[in-house]
Amino acid sequence: MFEKILIANRGEIALRIHRACREMGIRTVAVHSVADADAMHVRLADESVCIGPAPSRDSYLNMPAIISAATITGADAIHPGIGFLSENARFAAMVEEHGFTFIGPAPDHLTLMGDKVQAKDAAIRFGIPVVPGSAGEVKDEADAKRWAAEIGYPVLIKAAAGGGGKGMRVANDESELSQAWSMARSEAMKSFGNDAVYMEKYLSHPRHIEIQILADNHGNVVHLGERDCSLQRRHQKLVEEAPSPALNAEQRARIGKVATDAMTKMGYRSVGTIEFLFQDGAFYFIEMNTRLQVEHPVTEMITGIDLVREQIRVASGAPLGMSQADITFSGHAIECRVNAENPETFAPSPGRITEYHAPGGLGVRVDSALYGGYRVPPHYDSLIAKLIVHGRSRNECMMRLRRALEEMVINGVHTSIPVHRRIMNAPDFLNGAYDIRWLENFVAAE
Amino acid sequence: MSKFDIDEALIRKLAQLLKETGLTEIEFEKEGARIRVNAGGTGPAVFAPGAVAAAAAAPAAAASPDAPAAGSVSSPMVGTAYLSPEPNAAAFVKVGDRVAKGQTILIIEAMKVMNPIPAPHAGTVTQILVQDGQPVEFGEPLMVIA
Repeated sequence: MFEKILIANRGEIALRIHRACREMGIRTVAVHSVADADAMHVRLADESVCIGPAPSRDSYLNMPAIISAATITGADAIHPGIGFLSENARFAAMVEEHGFTFIGPAPDHLTLMGDKVQAKDAAIRFGIPVVPGSAGEVKDEADAKRWAAEIGYPVLIKAAAGGGGKGMRVANDESELSQAWSMARSEAMKSFGNDAVYMEKYLSHPRHIEIQILADNHGNVVHLGERDCSLQRRHQKLVEEAPSPALNAEQRARIGKVATDAMTKMGYRSVGTIEFLFQDGAFYFIEMNTRLQVEHPVTEMITGIDLVREQIRVASGAPLGMSQADITFSGHAIECRVNAENPETFAPSPGRITEYHAPGGLGVRVDSALYGGYRVPPHYDSLIAKLIVHGRSRNECMMRLRRALEEMVINGVHTSIPVHRRIMNAPDFLNGAYDIRWLENFVAAE
Repeated sequence: MSKFDIDEALIRKLAQLLKETGLTEIEFEKEGARIRVNAGGTGPAVFAPGAVAAAAAAPAAAASPDAPAAGSVSSPMVGTAYLSPEPNAAAFVKVGDRVAKGQTILIIEAMKVMNPIPAPHAGTVTQILVQDGQPVEFGEPLMVIA
């Protein structure tokens, strides 16, 4: 088992990783930018190293600085967290070349799943159902027309090097195709420096359902059920729940088996999440995230399994120690992402926290690095807290979540708490009747 | 009744410390005699237990990373600092040396690459704040060139 892990991330996830390490008796090194010198996880970590000025490019994305910090502190392993370098194959390879363990999948798998066209091809090879689409890149507009006719309108043109919902355009019929084609390509070039695009059937009312995977280095793979992450605004998830109110036991078992069979064939290791669109009883692969996810706590609440701990364990070479039959699901969990942003305009709202009170009680969990007097810096994403609630049933969970949201106080910055309070009272949400467009319509109507 | 001489120099020193550090009260005890100096005003009462230790710590706090000494050269990277070009060679600079802008004052090694660190301005080396072979982080004060 590792003796010292360097946490190459920040905010609430860095604190999450620190906590898992401490519980395993592993010492922690917190690397941080100048702007994060007073972050909670930096204060709690055994050691800290300032790796650069505030901008991410010079700090959290600064590979030499991070590896240097691991060298001077004598760390054994580096946990890349979420975002930043967590899916960067070059970084993963560099970490291993320098004799540290990268707590995550093999660099090859990061590369494979990082390219959306390659990932889709791999999915097909491994037996994962995919959205009907072009077989690879669509090279020119004539090609686009042919593919669209074959797939059937409406179609979606997507950036091959993309993600996060950027570089995507819908064409509802042939008259819209030309403009959708050129706009998707130019946005792809601007966002990712690569204008390669592919095409898929556009689904009109899908839900976003993702399957949590855990695999060791010895070929053992399990799934920990699904999460429903349909509540998104501009492709950013806001609320997630497990299990999905839309799946029955047969569907869950079926897609779980598809996922674990595929990961076994692929030889995957560490944690990962396979994301699907689900419509009319059918699953369609969209992408795989080869890292821990922000919403991992809802899975932890219903399975009782500490995903970060397991991720560290398997990275150290330990066998999984559990079979699929050992994994049971109990109750229901919902997570609300609390962002430092204006609840009406969604503009970021950095600043100094004047009052902070986290809700408590049975089944209430808050993952946050906030404290009274903390300054939320303007340089990074706006997630400042995750409120995760568990109940024995979905109803109990929602009642508890409503109660917890009433108690939660974060003053000094704007937060998305008011939006969450409104969502928790919306009849559609209470009935579990929503798809990936629901939230945008809901906030627009307010 | 014990004899108690008023040590004017001590009182002036304590008063000066109050002003410099922004503390509102210092209490000093030695050989059974105790003296307390209070800045008055409406500031919050900051109790300083172990008064001598607190008074001594205050100047150090004033020199914290937020306010580096003028002429301080801070590390542009993470790595290991070396004060000489090779293990048994003479150091690049020593205290008292005059240096030109751009002159190499030390090396920081990161990922097996030796990075020469240039003096950001000309002046005299007044302090060397790191030891040979010491790990340094971004922003850490390395030397003071006045």
